[in-house]
Amino acid sequence: MGLNLGIGEFLAIFGAISAVSVALYLLDRNRRKQVVSTLRFWVTPGLPSPVTRRRKIQQPISLALQLLGMLLLLLAIAELHWGGGWRARRDHVLIIDTSAWMRAGVPGRPNATLMDLARANAISWLRAVPDSDRVLLLRADGLATPATAWESDHVKVARAILETRPGATAINLRQSLDFARQLQKQTGSSGGEIVYDGPGRIRDAEAEGGPVNVPILRYLQVADPSENVGFRSVGARRSSTARDSWDLLVRLRNYGRTPRTVSVTLNLGHAPMGMHPVTLAPASEQETTFELHTKAAGLAELRIYPADAFGADNYASLELPAQRSLHVIVYSDSPEAWRPALESDPRIAAEFRKPREYVPADDGLVILDRFHPDQAPAGNSLWVDPPDKSPIAIKGRVVEPAGLQWAPDQSLAAGLREHDMRIPTTSILDAGANDIRVAEVDRGAVIAARVSADGKTKTIVMGFNPFAGALRYELAAPLLLANELRWFAPDVFRDVDVTAQSAGTVSDSYVAPQGKTVNDVQVITEAGTNLPFNIRDGKIQFFTGSAARVSVISANTERVYSLTLPEMWDQRWVPPTTVRRGIPAWNDALRRGTDLWPWLAILGGAVLLVEYLIYGRDMSALLRVIRAHMDRTGERAA
Amino acid sequence: MANAPILDRKFLERLERLTIHWQKSFPGLVGGHNKSRLPGGGQEFLDHRHFHQGDDLRAVNWRAYMRLDKMFLKLFQVEPRVPVRMLVDISDSMAAGKPAGTGGKFDYALKLAGALCYVGLVRLDTIEVLPFSGKLQEGKVCGGGRHRFTPLSRFLEGLSSGGTTSFLKVIREFLNDYPQRGLVIVISDFLDEGGCDKALQYLADYGNELMLIHVWSDEDRTPPWTGECDLEEAESGAKLHIHVDDEARARYTEEFDKFAASIRAVAMRNSGRYAAIPTSLPLEEAIFGKLMQSRSVA
Repeated sequence: MGLNLGIGEFLAIFGAISAVSVALYLLDRNRRKQVVSTLRFWVTPGLPSPVTRRRKIQQPISLALQLLGMLLLLLAIAELHWGGGWRARRDHVLIIDTSAWMRAGVPGRPNATLMDLARANAISWLRAVPDSDRVLLLRADGLATPATAWESDHVKVARAILETRPGATAINLRQSLDFARQLQKQTGSSGGEIVYDGPGRIRDAEAEGGPVNVPILRYLQVADPSENVGFRSVGARRSSTARDSWDLLVRLRNYGRTPRTVSVTLNLGHAPMGMHPVTLAPASEQETTFELHTKAAGLAELRIYPADAFGADNYASLELPAQRSLHVIVYSDSPEAWRPALESDPRIAAEFRKPREYVPADDGLVILDRFHPDQAPAGNSLWVDPPDKSPIAIKGRVVEPAGLQWAPDQSLAAGLREHDMRIPTTSILDAGANDIRVAEVDRGAVIAARVSADGKTKTIVMGFNPFAGALRYELAAPLLLANELRWFAPDVFRDVDVTAQSAGTVSDSYVAPQGKTVNDVQVITEAGTNLPFNIRDGKIQFFTGSAARVSVISANTERVYSLTLPEMWDQRWVPPTTVRRGIPAWNDALRRGTDLWPWLAILGGAVLLVEYLIYGRDMSALLRVIRAHMDRTGERAA
Repeated sequence: MANAPILDRKFLERLERLTIHWQKSFPGLVGGHNKSRLPGGGQEFLDHRHFHQGDDLRAVNWRAYMRLDKMFLKLFQVEPRVPVRMLVDISDSMAAGKPAGTGGKFDYALKLAGALCYVGLVRLDTIEVLPFSGKLQEGKVCGGGRHRFTPLSRFLEGLSSGGTTSFLKVIREFLNDYPQRGLVIVISDFLDEGGCDKALQYLADYGNELMLIHVWSDEDRTPPWTGECDLEEAESGAKLHIHVDDEARARYTEEFDKFAASIRAVAMRNSGRYAAIPTSLPLEEAIFGKLMQSRSVA
């Protein structure tokens, strides 16, 4: 039981009021004043004689009722609390679950979602909270975000509750509870509850952390549907075997308790491209693959049929980019030496021509194999062992040069080692200061690259033919060619992976390209903003709280994460045994501390009314005496 | 907004069948409705007596004179017009506790006076209302039928309480002013420090018939208070501080009843009538109950 006044203050005020009341009684009510017609029958012998004047309370019950009424009213003014000790107020934290699962429908109620039930629970709980208590609303999904400050105005909290919407991630309940506990500690109050309002579906990682440390935890459980099948992730990768094809890997999970057979359909644009039936055991995952033949960019949409209560994970979409290829024209008298290397990669469209068929205006990459045209190609060109003249001058020719070295800081020499190639004979190039010396021997550069001043044209001159003689069997030959092709057209050879998965924390494997550091990696959203990320233990990690399309770009790879799937739970949360459940009942709220002042005010008023009805005639008699006295005074004056 | 009439029309209509009665025979002119034992100028033969000098020769029984050679005078019964005078107490004691206009003894007495006046007016009696407290105040004579009631009603409505009761003084003044005998109706609480028995006896001794209507309030007979009380007498202003308990209240009521009995005894002793009427009794029941039982009206 508590008061907003101290005991001393309360007793002082009540004592003063009581003293005034008793004094008024002694002054006004100690004797009844009455005007009568005659006194002759009172003073006859045998009747009591007039008594001496003394202070005496004539109507103790009336006085007691008045004091009781005043006591009750004073207690009401002092805002008497019942229960909860001598506290002034408590601070509660209401955690409302805004995970993606809250979009799920409610069985038997077509238009209702779990979010609606959670909001109703929150409002009901808020009504049971005493008005003097403060409440802070915490919206919890992957992140715990305060929606209000500490509010005594519960209307504001109710408004914030009604404005709460589901997010895209799973709830991080442990983090939310810890955050709520931390907020409560900062206020310094005690006795407040931390209320979790939601279905209690968490990730596996949370269940491994042991029990939560919350002194007073209340669980407003929201009943959720038990059966659900949805996409866990969808990945698309350019086919390594077929040109202009994508391999789609689809992973599904059955969250329910019964086996389910569903159909997964694939549409590109609005054209159906395939359908696979998938049977899933309870609480298990299953994968299925689609092969999609398309060269153009488009939106690949996957759907699960039949739909269930949670429709957000029954649909996934991937924005597939257009597949680009590099047009390579080889002018060579021995195209057989080049054909295996160029046709092994579906991203290369190789065309082999005789040197006499040379056209300077060819597009794409022109490889001039031991051939020197009168007019240099307009675009990119790879000069292989030019006979006499080349864009980079030839200083001389050597046999079995010694001291072959690859430029370690150039992508053109990535993966090449000194001992990987033994050159029988080569031209020595007179590379300029602005040229890139890819490989050098003792007498000079043997492979050099040049970029035009405007950056549009690239040229590589090789002093030897890597596909001639014994060199064609060296491991370094195709690797060198691959490096050169990537250098000419990095966009074409960039590996593109498109993945659809859930928002939240993304953790994926990452191998840094040789010679590349973390600074060469970019994590960019579709809006062009850079996301913070971390690379640790061969994994890249970043976080998005909402659905987004994120690209991770490194040297020659680009991974596109279409984070449009909702982040789902893995298991049901097991609350501590001491948790309180449900909406607190009225008597519970009373026991925990309820404002009694309205009832005390009503009771005090009722007591005073009863006192007036029983003894109130004295007041009217007093008024009559006063009126009669005034009349007599008036008459005498007249 | 005009004040409401002292008596409503419906009640007045009920009063029209009543008549004020008195027992004594009074001399007077023809025109009344109560037969008198005294002979007068009526039509109905009453008796004979010897002729005396100065008697009206028209009443001599000439047949008896022819036969007996003696002059006998025929006497006729008469219903004389007897003056009805109504003394209404307007002293402070009548308004004690409940001033005028609040339904106390004063208001009740005025209504009762008005009702009896109306009864008399209907029967063509002549009634003079005389308010009094310490002295007799200017009265109002009314007669000649029910249509004369309105001036009387206004007169009653214009009365206000005040003064200290002195029956002896008032009765002496009355007897001086109104020597003709008649019916005297006294409406009062009869609370006079000097006593009223002697004054009322004077009134009867002078040949008037008394109709004493004793009006009291419930507080007058049974005080409702208990405990210590400061009592103030309305007329004199005297104060009394007493402790009232149930026993004292019972003794008070007993004394009051003795007082009422003494008033009644005065009336009975002089062949008058007495009616004790508490203000809690509705006026209609007072007229058709108490006053009819005492044969004051019939």
